[in-house]
Amino acid sequence: MDRRQFCRAAAVAPLLIAMSRQRAFAQNADVKAILHDPEAPEAGNPKGDVTIVAFTDYNCPFCKKSEPDLNRIIKDDGKVRLVYKDWPILSEASVYGAQLALAAKYQGKYDLVHHALMAIPGKKIPKPKMLEAVKASGIDMNRLNADLKARSASISTLLQRNMDQATALGLEGTPTYLIGPFRTMALDYAGFKEALAEARRRQAAGDRIE
Amino acid sequence: MPRFVRMLFVVALLVLFPVSFANAQMPPPADKVFSLAASRSDDRVLTLRWTVEPGNYLYRDSLEVSMEGKTLPLEIPAGEEKDDPNFGHVQIFHDSVEGRLPGLPGAGKLQIRYQGCAEQGICYPAVAKIVDLETLAISGVRLGLGGEIAAERSVQGEQRTVWSSANAAATDPAEESATSYLVGNPFLMAAGFLGFGLLLAFTPCVFPMIPILSAMLAGAGGQLSVGRGFVLSSAYVLAMAAAYGIVGLVAGWSGANLQAALQTPAALLSAATVFIALALSMFGFYEIALPSALATRLSGGRSGGSALGAAVLGLGSALIVGPCVTPPLAAAMLFAVQSGEAAKGAAALFFLGLGMGLPLIAFGAFGARILPRSGSWMVSIRQGFGIVFLGVAAMLVSRLLTPPPALALWGALAIGTGVFLGGFDAIRATSNWQRRLGKAAGLTVSLYGAALVVGAAGGASDPSRPLAFIAGQDTARTQSAGVLRVNSPASFDAAVAANSGKPILVSFGADWCTVCKSNDALMERPDIRKRLDALPVIDVDVTRQDAGARALMTRFAVVGPPTLFFLDAEGREVPGSRMIGPITADEIAGHLSPAGA
Repeated sequence: MDRRQFCRAAAVAPLLIAMSRQRAFAQNADVKAILHDPEAPEAGNPKGDVTIVAFTDYNCPFCKKSEPDLNRIIKDDGKVRLVYKDWPILSEASVYGAQLALAAKYQGKYDLVHHALMAIPGKKIPKPKMLEAVKASGIDMNRLNADLKARSASISTLLQRNMDQATALGLEGTPTYLIGPFRTMALDYAGFKEALAEARRRQAAGDRIE
Repeated sequence: MPRFVRMLFVVALLVLFPVSFANAQMPPPADKVFSLAASRSDDRVLTLRWTVEPGNYLYRDSLEVSMEGKTLPLEIPAGEEKDDPNFGHVQIFHDSVEGRLPGLPGAGKLQIRYQGCAEQGICYPAVAKIVDLETLAISGVRLGLGGEIAAERSVQGEQRTVWSSANAAATDPAEESATSYLVGNPFLMAAGFLGFGLLLAFTPCVFPMIPILSAMLAGAGGQLSVGRGFVLSSAYVLAMAAAYGIVGLVAGWSGANLQAALQTPAALLSAATVFIALALSMFGFYEIALPSALATRLSGGRSGGSALGAAVLGLGSALIVGPCVTPPLAAAMLFAVQSGEAAKGAAALFFLGLGMGLPLIAFGAFGARILPRSGSWMVSIRQGFGIVFLGVAAMLVSRLLTPPPALALWGALAIGTGVFLGGFDAIRATSNWQRRLGKAAGLTVSLYGAALVVGAAGGASDPSRPLAFIAGQDTARTQSAGVLRVNSPASFDAAVAANSGKPILVSFGADWCTVCKSNDALMERPDIRKRLDALPVIDVDVTRQDAGARALMTRFAVVGPPTLFFLDAEGREVPGSRMIGPITADEIAGHLSPAGA
């Protein structure tokens, strides 16, 4: 059997069981809960035809490297929904950063804090440096501190849920982007563009992940 | 036709084990990328050695050792400097690094942490291990958010043996999930197997059922109504599906691998005999008639009796085509076995059989009235079926033969086909164009058959180049000196030990595995052979699913043959080197380079 036949066979497989691709999505992972977690902050076009789910950590250099390209493709494309999954696994300070960003969600400023934290270069950012960057972002710090306190339980629950989802998906590290039916590591602009195009092709062929 | 069956087999693999496909682009888990070993040089100094797979690195400042909550000073060399706007200024280690811990007590538990990234663009979570100072056994620790210790992994293991990473793969959550997802959705599972069966229906394997079914319908006498045809063919198909369901039930219940049992020489030979018998009847040597008692009941016109007769025939038919559809059936059964539940296994195979039979039901209901009763052209069609049946028999038998005799068998079949096509019939001036065309085709096929027979005599094995040996190319299957056949962990370890310090190709294969045969043939190609000659090959024979074979399959998390991968000089599986299913020349060549061959 040569490669062409193999490809043909590979093309037939999804028709047989469309869920085989979703299986890339996983085991005991509830796909709907991952894509539509009411607590998870979102950006981009809420009615977009493709969803990118970004599992990131504020001490992950590759996440920081991909971040500008991700933001640019979402703006340029205009039809992508972005779901943020803070998955702080690299250090204790990463958890703190994620808590700050998620607290900002309650004043509708998750994006602002997320971008401020992602913009700090380096891989071992301590808590004070993170706080400093958040303050400098121009967010209402009084409100943020109040939310951090009052909402601490729901923030922790969300972080744990993200962690569980990542485990259920079998993710190996950060960043992991779920783009339509695909799963990728750090990408550049061209990489995101290609993945989105391929995801749309797959979705047009009926392999839709909802 | 074998090609089509093979394609179906690949489809089955993709459907049943989509995980390997879907994860192709994803990095291996951290435990596979970074491995830790501990040794004690003299009584007090403990040496920790981290090995890093190519394309990954460890952060120097992430290496941490603590005991009872206190951080211990670890003597580690300076790392490579890395300065990148996104990373800042850091020191990293590629390949490997050794750290020394002097002045340790003889007992106690060390906690070790490390963290790193893959250059492709992903950072792994921190990894934590516990080293028991008394035994130097290393166990894993599960980490939660922010790298806090969540719970100590209860499984002790991950010894300092070279297999730790391979063992870890066996419990990789993603690996186990393929079946669990399918099993979790009974409806999707049923639909999936139904569709799969429908595809199988279009293989020549199911063709034998058409004459059987049409004979039965014709035997029912008189003009068949659509409804009557539907009832009869449904009874036939349901019984056939039930036969498969029973096989699935046994497979799921026993948990044993029936795949191997169905492919024993005895089973293959008896299946081949059945096909030869069918072929001879197609050629008109005799008529396969139903036992008169059964025939009377069938044509008796009473619906109860007829439907029952149809069901009996259906059961029998399942047994006839069973061996032919084995490769895809085996994949389905592997699923049934893995599901471990008799009911699910039975349901899966029942729907597979139902899918295979759906076209037959349609044929029985609507095709019955337009069924050709007789005519001279029917003879040609029957002969065509006969040749196909002989081909199936040859395919079954060739699995038991070495390539040259198998080639000769195909050659003989081709010559026979040529004769039936009219290759040796006399042509007169008055002969029409059909006869002339038939003669031309027959002669061509016979000539090819002759080439195969001659090629077989010359030791060839490749049907597309049977006479290559004349050109002086060595097509003889000289098993390279480095091939070691093993079937138990002990013999495997001995084989690895005998080749220590060299990369090794490990190949899981079985006599009943047709895809393995085509992979082997590919590896015999001179350009690939040349490179493989330098490489020791360990051939793990899992023909018999005995304890030794199962232990090796579990050790390397092999789902079934063919599976190929490389071991590096230290005896660890080279990450990303695994090839499952049919391989291509490009793939094997691509994998040979990183393995150092």
